[in-house]
Amino acid sequence: MKKKVLATVLSAAMAVSMMAGCGQKAAEPAAAPATEAAAPAAEPAPAPEPEPAPEPEPAATEEAAAEPAEEPAAAATEGEYTAGTPFSGITAKEAYKFPIDVKSFQSTYWQAALAGMDIAKAELGVDYDAHGPNSESDIADQVNMLNSDINSNPPGIGLAACDTSSVLDSLQTCADKGIPVVCFDTGVADAPEGSVVCTVATDNAQAGEVAADNMYAALADVIANAEGQVRIGEINQDATALNIQQRGLGFINEMIALIQADGKTVSVEGNEFYVNAAEGADSGDTDVVIEVQVPAQTTVELCSAQAQAILSKADTIGVFGSNQTAAEGLLAADANLSLLGSDPEAGDVIGVGFDAGSIIKGAVASGQMYGAVTQSPLMMGYYTLYALTAAANGDPVEDYPTDGYWYDASNIDDPTIAPNLYD
Amino acid sequence: MTKKKNKLLSDQRFIVLLVIAALIIIYMIFSPEFRQYSSILSMLDFSYYDVLMAIGVTFPLITAGVDLSIGTGMVCYALLAGSLIRNQHVPVGVAMLVCVLLGCIVGMVNGLLIAVMNLPPFLATLCTCMITRGIGSMSSAVPWPTTQQDGGWFHSIFKLTFGTGRSALKIPIGFILVVALVILMEFVLNHTKFGRYTIAIGSNKEAVILSGINVKFYHVMAYVICGLFAGLAAIAYAAVVPTVQPGTGAGLELDAIGGVFVGGVSATGGYGSVLGTLAGVFVIVLLKTGLPYVGLQANWQQIITGAVLIAAVLIDVIKRRRAAKAQ
Amino acid sequence: MGECILKMEDIDKSFPGVHALDHVHFDVNKGEVHALMGENGAGKSTLMKVLTGIYTKDSGSINFEGREVEFHNTREAQDAGIVIVHQELNMVGDLTVAQNIFIGREFMKGFKIDDKKMIEESNRLFAELKIEIDPKAKMKDLTVGKQQMCEIAKAISHDAKLIIFDEPSAALTEKEIEDLFVIIRDLRAKNLGIVYISHRMDEIKVITDRVTVMRDGGYVGTLITKDCTKEDIINMMVGRVIYEEPKTKSQVAPDAPVVLKVEHLNAGRMVKDVSFELRKGEILGFSGLMGAGRTETARALFGADPKTSGDIYVNGEKVTINSPQDAVKYGIGYLSEDRKRYGIVVQKSITENSTLAALENYMSGIFINKSAEKKVTNQYIKELATKTPNADQLVVNLSGGNQQKVVIAKWLVRNCDILIFDEPTRGIDVGAKNEIYKLMNRLAAEGKSIIMISSEMTEILRMSDRIVIMCEGEKTGEIDIAEATQELIMDKATRNIE
Repeated sequence: MKKKVLATVLSAAMAVSMMAGCGQKAAEPAAAPATEAAAPAAEPAPAPEPEPAPEPEPAATEEAAAEPAEEPAAAATEGEYTAGTPFSGITAKEAYKFPIDVKSFQSTYWQAALAGMDIAKAELGVDYDAHGPNSESDIADQVNMLNSDINSNPPGIGLAACDTSSVLDSLQTCADKGIPVVCFDTGVADAPEGSVVCTVATDNAQAGEVAADNMYAALADVIANAEGQVRIGEINQDATALNIQQRGLGFINEMIALIQADGKTVSVEGNEFYVNAAEGADSGDTDVVIEVQVPAQTTVELCSAQAQAILSKADTIGVFGSNQTAAEGLLAADANLSLLGSDPEAGDVIGVGFDAGSIIKGAVASGQMYGAVTQSPLMMGYYTLYALTAAANGDPVEDYPTDGYWYDASNIDDPTIAPNLYD
Repeated sequence: MTKKKNKLLSDQRFIVLLVIAALIIIYMIFSPEFRQYSSILSMLDFSYYDVLMAIGVTFPLITAGVDLSIGTGMVCYALLAGSLIRNQHVPVGVAMLVCVLLGCIVGMVNGLLIAVMNLPPFLATLCTCMITRGIGSMSSAVPWPTTQQDGGWFHSIFKLTFGTGRSALKIPIGFILVVALVILMEFVLNHTKFGRYTIAIGSNKEAVILSGINVKFYHVMAYVICGLFAGLAAIAYAAVVPTVQPGTGAGLELDAIGGVFVGGVSATGGYGSVLGTLAGVFVIVLLKTGLPYVGLQANWQQIITGAVLIAAVLIDVIKRRRAAKAQ
Repeated sequence: MGECILKMEDIDKSFPGVHALDHVHFDVNKGEVHALMGENGAGKSTLMKVLTGIYTKDSGSINFEGREVEFHNTREAQDAGIVIVHQELNMVGDLTVAQNIFIGREFMKGFKIDDKKMIEESNRLFAELKIEIDPKAKMKDLTVGKQQMCEIAKAISHDAKLIIFDEPSAALTEKEIEDLFVIIRDLRAKNLGIVYISHRMDEIKVITDRVTVMRDGGYVGTLITKDCTKEDIINMMVGRVIYEEPKTKSQVAPDAPVVLKVEHLNAGRMVKDVSFELRKGEILGFSGLMGAGRTETARALFGADPKTSGDIYVNGEKVTINSPQDAVKYGIGYLSEDRKRYGIVVQKSITENSTLAALENYMSGIFINKSAEKKVTNQYIKELATKTPNADQLVVNLSGGNQQKVVIAKWLVRNCDILIFDEPTRGIDVGAKNEIYKLMNRLAAEGKSIIMISSEMTEILRMSDRIVIMCEGEKTGEIDIAEATQELIMDKATRNIE
């Protein structure tokens, strides 16, 4: 039952956010100068500037033209990002303090999420306390941290679970004790009834689709004019984490749909999980092959070895690295090949990354990497604290998907994008 | 003549060379991509830090000890030095020195715990492994300068690049560098006091103590050298891994230690060679980075690597039994 | 005989459970060979370890060449001119002969060790000693005798003023001993002081000038060798202790069944085609030089080391023993010569050690039945007269003799009928020694069968009903106690050494 609800919510969110993605592009040129001009006047705001945040609000995107006018005004008032969201108008009944369990402090991704929480914290007058294990694979450490947080009977817990099945017992305890849990970044699909009140996470399938849409746009002509088979690669850090699975499959399924829509055939090979989970692929000798590889361990060097093997194949025209590690592995593999670039007509292989980090940002800015999809950790953190406050107040809350956004050399410095691009 | 031939055939290092040749030939037959120069380049890129760690850890292993802290240590040094470059704008050269220095310090701590406080090496270095991992996690992810950025010159220690783009000529001089270091350390192992006592400690520590040698000093030195090479490995690691991620590195030491054993260092100490280590590590590297080319899925890579390691250690055991019987 | 080079006075040293040295006096003159005598555990080696800085004395003074000295390690002692030729071989097996001889004082060419010069020097030393050893050979590839000669060469290569030979002849053949004596006389002529530790009365008479006797860690007296008889020395060594009467004939009934038969046992390079029988109630002595393969035979028989071939019969039935577990199943217990390493868990209580090999008999379900365990332990403490306040005492706090009793108890608890005693009295005080002897005789009388490996001739002659003699891994003789003499045994023990 729960799954069905989740699926419905997700697909609804997907549809909405795709529209948001389109609408946003159109709005950009107008929006950027306006906000820049307004910012100094409006506020002595703390760093991570709040105003250039991406606009997930369906309401706002529908009236893209009205946006520039509204925004400067909204920036001055507290809670402006919540306008049009379910979190609109929420205030804290008490000065809550929420424990937040992140997957680790390994990447600046999580620091961006905490920055978002800091903004919400100031707005709401609540506080939070973040914990995280040394690395995202230290599952047991995180469960311990979570359990000790539960023992302190907090008003609510924010959780980005390293391993979704390992936290189930702890979540049951939360349900028993009546502690509301807000999952962010990663949802827990089988969470016990009454534990997780809502999930604030990137719609990974949508994010994967964004990558596929943009890569296909660059490669459509090459595929259409190809003599013989061409190959599109995908490097996934693993085949077990839900978000990587959704992202990987979002890319594959969208790519299949796009290729078939143009009258070509496509098949999927490589890692068994993804081959079996892909939908609608053709079999036999197809025009396009999507090759999915997963390294033995989630390290850059092993991702790189896989990427190297794909890049070296003469028929490869594009490769997608589905998270920071995989994307950096792709770049490391290219260090000796110099095959990646932005001009597919000239024989460049189109490399698409995910997330940010200064290496990927640098590669996107220089055009070595055609583009990448970023999540919005800042907004995720921001909404998480709002959801927690609402839950602590005893108000009903719902799942809230955040979007993945395409960025490339042309919009990397765009104020709607840049704050999410952590180093 | 035949005697010489037999000796060569029974030398594990020679067997390992044959294995390397066999692997390369198999890869080349089954994967046209592997035949490309760039594949060799990439394999070499990702071999340097393994080789450097392995050269270092050869010494503790010969003393019948072990150092588990080199993997997390290496990442920790690369992170700390990397944040110095990023945040304090320290020149890359200084950061490199910092890596080596940190390595020596951690090595010294390991050595003191083991040789002076008499902690079992496994335990002592497991502790420093955790500590370096923890310290590494405090820092945020840092990329060292890329080739184009200021300070990017340090990449040319390992790879000289002439020109840009697809037609650029790349020369893996890092290979020459590590081979030179291997030869140097092989000399140190066989022709200096330090090397001799390292072997002697692994063979019969009691006898070395009774010979009036400052065993503690040399025992500590074995770990300092190990740490020093972990520091050098940190530079090589930073040169190939785009962003050094905090909290990682656990498990990397096992590739190096595995390589040392494949290269013929006795599992009970007292015998070993750095040349063997070089060959042994390349077997591991070939398995790690080469198997994707022949389309083997990831889980098989690890299974095969484990099997090769068992084979190598068994060769050592069988050889010993034969030698015992022969006498 | 020259002036005094070494004077040790009132040396006192205690270890947990043992008063190892009790106000001992000892002095050596230049140009003298001074014997240091005493039974095993009398404190000779301990005294020498105190002298060379391996142990620190608790009290007393050491005067060397007219100066009060206290060495903190062997290096300092070496630098002062005192070197020791160890009883246990202290060589690094993986290094070559030359590398071993010069370990710690390598010749250097800059950073590089000058191996060539070390080999030359080794050859010069060996020429001086008139022995032939390849300096480039790995130490572990040499025979025990050759290794001992290297140890001597190493000692001589130091610019020594005082050389201590700690039972150098234990592993040497007659020929090698003669060569050794030539060397020692040579050194004496060069006005060096020499300390000679040995059990062998004949050697003492031949080579030494004076004899100092120790007993139970205490100083007994010093005699001029040529003015005393063997009996004088033995009386001083043995003291008040009344030993079990030596056996003059076998105590085993002529029709006693054979409980253990070993046929054509081969294992490694140290056990070559060994066959023997052990009968019920018999004490079978195993004699031979150090490194003759006795311990190796026992370990192969016990399944502790792999064997290449050979058949074992227990009570007439052919059995397969591939591990100590198998051996214990057939009622064979092994008491190692190195108790601390193989025999007992020193940091555990007597109870835990006693039931270690038979724990499955003291279980209630998955739990250890502590009271049953304690009961059986107390029974054996009483039966073996183990001196301890209670069964919970940690074994580390017991004396050597009592530790040995705990090991015996361990195998008796396991109901072993065949016991292999490997050097049963090594490291045990003289007084406690006789208790072990009594116990062994009693066990034999009760129908247990015992294999006793011993390097002490007196022990072999005192305890055995029958004696098997081994040399270089082969069995070279088997003598009934009625015909056994020291000379006959020595003759067989060196039979196939050139």
